[in-house]
Amino acid sequence: MVKEIVVEPVTRLEGHGGLRIVLGDDGKVKDAQFNITSTRFFEKFCEGRYAEHVPRITPRICGICPIPHHLTPTKAVEDAWGVEIPEPARKLRILLQNAKQYSSHVLHFYALAAPDFLLGPFADPALRNVVHVINKMPDVGAMALKMMDFGQKLCAEIGGKSVHPISAIVGGMKKPMDEDARDKFLKQVGEQIEFTKKTVEIGLKVVEDYWDVVANVAVVPTYYLGMTKNGVHDIYEGDIRIVTPNGEKKDFDIHKYLDVLGEHIPEHSYATHMYYKPAGYPDGIYRANCLAMINAADKMATPLADEALKAFRDKTGPISHHTFAYHWARLIETVEAIEIIATLLKDPDVVNPDCKTLDVEPREGNGVGVTEAPRGLLLYNIWSDAAGICKKLNLLVATNHNIAGIEKTLMHTAKQVFEDKALDGLKLPDPWIK
Amino acid sequence: MAVKVAFMQCSDCWGCHQSLLNAHLGLLPVLPALDIVYWPAVVDFKHDSLKARPDGDILVGFVEGSLRTNEDVENAKLMRAKCQLIISFGSCSCYGNVHGLANQWDIQKVINRKFVETESITNESPHEPKEHMPGFTEKIMPLDEVIKVDAYIAGCPPKPEAIISSVVFLLGQKPQPMNDLAFCNECPLNTEGCLLDKGVMCFGPITSSGCTLKCTSNGDPCVGCFGPSKTVASRAEKLNGMVKNLSTISTGNKKNLFEFLTLFLNVPLMAGFDLAGDVLKQIKKRGAPESPLANLPPTTEDIASSIMAYLRDNRDFTEISNVCDTCPRIIGSKSRMTKVKRDYEGLPNMDDCLIEQGYICMGPVTKAGCGGLCLRVNAPCSGCYGQTEWVADQASRFADVVIKGFNVDVSKEELLSQVKDHLGTFQKFTLASNRSYKGGE
Repeated sequence: MVKEIVVEPVTRLEGHGGLRIVLGDDGKVKDAQFNITSTRFFEKFCEGRYAEHVPRITPRICGICPIPHHLTPTKAVEDAWGVEIPEPARKLRILLQNAKQYSSHVLHFYALAAPDFLLGPFADPALRNVVHVINKMPDVGAMALKMMDFGQKLCAEIGGKSVHPISAIVGGMKKPMDEDARDKFLKQVGEQIEFTKKTVEIGLKVVEDYWDVVANVAVVPTYYLGMTKNGVHDIYEGDIRIVTPNGEKKDFDIHKYLDVLGEHIPEHSYATHMYYKPAGYPDGIYRANCLAMINAADKMATPLADEALKAFRDKTGPISHHTFAYHWARLIETVEAIEIIATLLKDPDVVNPDCKTLDVEPREGNGVGVTEAPRGLLLYNIWSDAAGICKKLNLLVATNHNIAGIEKTLMHTAKQVFEDKALDGLKLPDPWIK
Repeated sequence: MAVKVAFMQCSDCWGCHQSLLNAHLGLLPVLPALDIVYWPAVVDFKHDSLKARPDGDILVGFVEGSLRTNEDVENAKLMRAKCQLIISFGSCSCYGNVHGLANQWDIQKVINRKFVETESITNESPHEPKEHMPGFTEKIMPLDEVIKVDAYIAGCPPKPEAIISSVVFLLGQKPQPMNDLAFCNECPLNTEGCLLDKGVMCFGPITSSGCTLKCTSNGDPCVGCFGPSKTVASRAEKLNGMVKNLSTISTGNKKNLFEFLTLFLNVPLMAGFDLAGDVLKQIKKRGAPESPLANLPPTTEDIASSIMAYLRDNRDFTEISNVCDTCPRIIGSKSRMTKVKRDYEGLPNMDDCLIEQGYICMGPVTKAGCGGLCLRVNAPCSGCYGQTEWVADQASRFADVVIKGFNVDVSKEELLSQVKDHLGTFQKFTLASNRSYKGGE
C-alpha cells in the first residue's frame, strides 16, 4: 500500500507551503514534493504602472524583506533609463539593505529556527515556538527582541516604514538620515555588536551540539547561486556568481541572467523551479540564500565576518553542502551586516542632503536590477516605454530560487530517514529548554 | 484566563505579522493574555488542529490577506466557523491591496503571464500547475466579500501600536491607573492659559501625572498617553461637558480625540480600526463592561462611556479624518501646483504640501491612521489605509477635493489627463473592493 505523509502547512516560514512524501509498499520513497499554494501575479499587474511606482508596489511581495523589493526595482528602472545616483544615496541604500539583513537574519535565527534546536526536534509542538523560548530564556529572548528592534527601527528611519519602505526613488533617495537619528543609532551600535557576538556563541554551541546532524543529515550537493563584487560577499551590488557542486566558481554580468538562470514550471507548485541553465533541469538545480552566498564568497567584506568565514571553512571545507549549516552561514552574514551598519553610521554621507539627482528622464529600455535579499538573490527585469510606463516585468524572487533545491533536499533526506533509517543512530544533545 | 486567538494568512506578504512582531518588547505584556491556537508563521499547530476545533471555540480570529486562491476562500470560511469575532487584518483583507490591480484582466491572461509567457521559462509546453494546487479565484476579493467581518484594521501594514491596542481592546482589558494625581496638577498652564478654557479638548484632567509635560509646554493639549490617573482634576467636568457634544467637534479637537482613543482608551480608531455591526454589544454579551474602563473615577468612566456611545452610534465619524490631519506639512503654502509632476521629478522640500508642490499625494482622500509616515520621508501618500469615501470614480473625487482645498492651478480635466495611470494612482490598494468596477484598463 502506498503511504502519503503530508505536512500542511509548513510552519514558521513566510508564505504558504506543504510537504508531501509518498512511500511505496517496499518502503522506498517514490516522490517528495514541496507544494507552494499561493502566488499573486505581480509580474502581470505591474504592467501599465508608472515605472517609478513599481518599487512602491513590489515591497508587498514580502513583508519580511520588503527593503530589497523596494531597492531592486528602483535599480532596474535606473538601469533602464540610464540614471546615475549620487554616492550618498548609494550609501544610504547599502545601510538600509544591511539594516534589513540584520533584523531579518536575527528574526530567522531566533523566531523561526532556534525553537527546533533549543527544544529539540521531538518537543511538544505546542511549545516549540519563539514565545516559549522567550518565556524560558528571558535574557536571550530580550536580547533577540532588542536586536530585531534595532534593525527594524533603522529600516524605518531610513526607509520611512520598516514594512513597505518608500524613501528610494529613481535617481536616489527622497531624504537623507536626520543627524539626531543617526547619533541615536550610533550610540546603540556598540551594544548591538556585542549582542551579535553572543548570538554567534549560541549558534556555534548549537552547531557543536548538533554536529552529528549537521554533518550527516541532508548533505546534498547542488549548484549555488550568489552575488559577489570582485569576489567579495556583497548584498547590494555585484555579479551573479554560480558555484558548481565541486566548488568551481563562475561569474556572470546581471544583464546575461537569461543565459544563466532557467525557470522550470513544475506540475505541483506555484513557486517555480530555478536551475543553472547550462547544466539543464533537473541536474542544474541550485540553492540560494546565505549558505550559497558563503559558498560563493572568496572573502567577506568586513574583518570579523571574514574571521567567522575562515572558522566555517576550517570545519566544512571550501564548499559546504550541509543544509543545516545554513544557520551558521546566516550568522556570518549577520556579523557582516552589523559591521557595515557600524561603519556607515559613521560616514557623513548618510546625512548628506545631496542624495537625489535631478537628472532623470524616462526612456525606452529594458533594465535589470539585482540585490541579495535575506532569503536569496533578487532580480528585477523591467521594460519601460519612452514615457516611463512599465510595459513588462520579469521577477526572479529570492525564496523562489530555493524551491527546487528544497525539494531536492527533501527527497534526499526522506530517503535517508525512511530507507536508510539514518535518524536511528544519530547523536542528539539534551534540549537546552523543555 | 488567557483567551483563544487564531491568525490565518490568506494571499499576502506576511507584513501584518511582521508589523505585529515589530512591537517587540511591547508584545511581552500582551502575550500572557493570549492562548494562540493557530498561527502558522510562528507556532507549530497544523491545519487539521484548527479544523478539529468546535465551532465558535476561538474568541478572536485575525484574517490577513486577500482571497486569490480557492484555498484562501475555504480558510476564510473555516475561520468564520471557528471564531466568534473576525478581524479583517490589514489592507489586503480589508480592500484587496495592490494585487487587486490584477482584476483588470481575465484571470487566464494573468495566469498565462506567469506560467506560460515569462522570459526565463524553459519548459517546452509550460502551463498552470494543477497537481495538489488549489486553483485561482476569478478576481482578487477582500475578506468581507466572502464572510461576515466584525472589525477592520486597515493599513499596509497596520501600525504595531494599532494592532496591540486592538487586541487589548477586543480582549476587554482595561487601562490600569498610573499615579494618584492628574496631569493638570503639574501642567504649566494650570493657573494661566488653560487650553480647556480656550475650547481645546485637553485630556489633562483625567490623565496620570508624571510625564515630561512636553505637550502643554509646547502649547499642545494632553492626549492621555500616560493613561488614567486615580483621581481627576477639577476641570474634568469641563471636559465631560465637551464630550457630550461630539457632533459639533472641531477638526483640531477631533485629532486630539483620536489620539486619546488610541493612547488612553486603547481604541485604535486613529489607526484605521473600524467596528462593523455592534461589536461592543457582542463584547458586552461576553461579560466585558460597556466602557473599557473600570474601577476608575466616575467622571473618567463617564467621559469614556460618552465617547464609546458616540462612536457606536456614528460609524462614519472616522471617515471625515484623513492623512492630511496627521501630516506635518503646510497646506496653503507658498507653492502651487501648475502641472502634475511624476515622483522622480525634482526633489520636493520638506515643509510644503506635496500636492501644492505638484505631486499626486492621496493624503486628502485617504483614511487617517498611519501618522503620515510617508510624508515624513518626502514620499507622497499612495492610499494604503483606504479611501475616506467610497465613490465609483475615485480619480474624479480626488481632483475635486484637491482643486477645492489646495493651491492647485490646473483644471480638473488637465489634472486627470496628466495622470497616465489612473487605476495604479487612485485605486492602488482598493480596486478589488470597488464594487462598481467591472474590469478593463
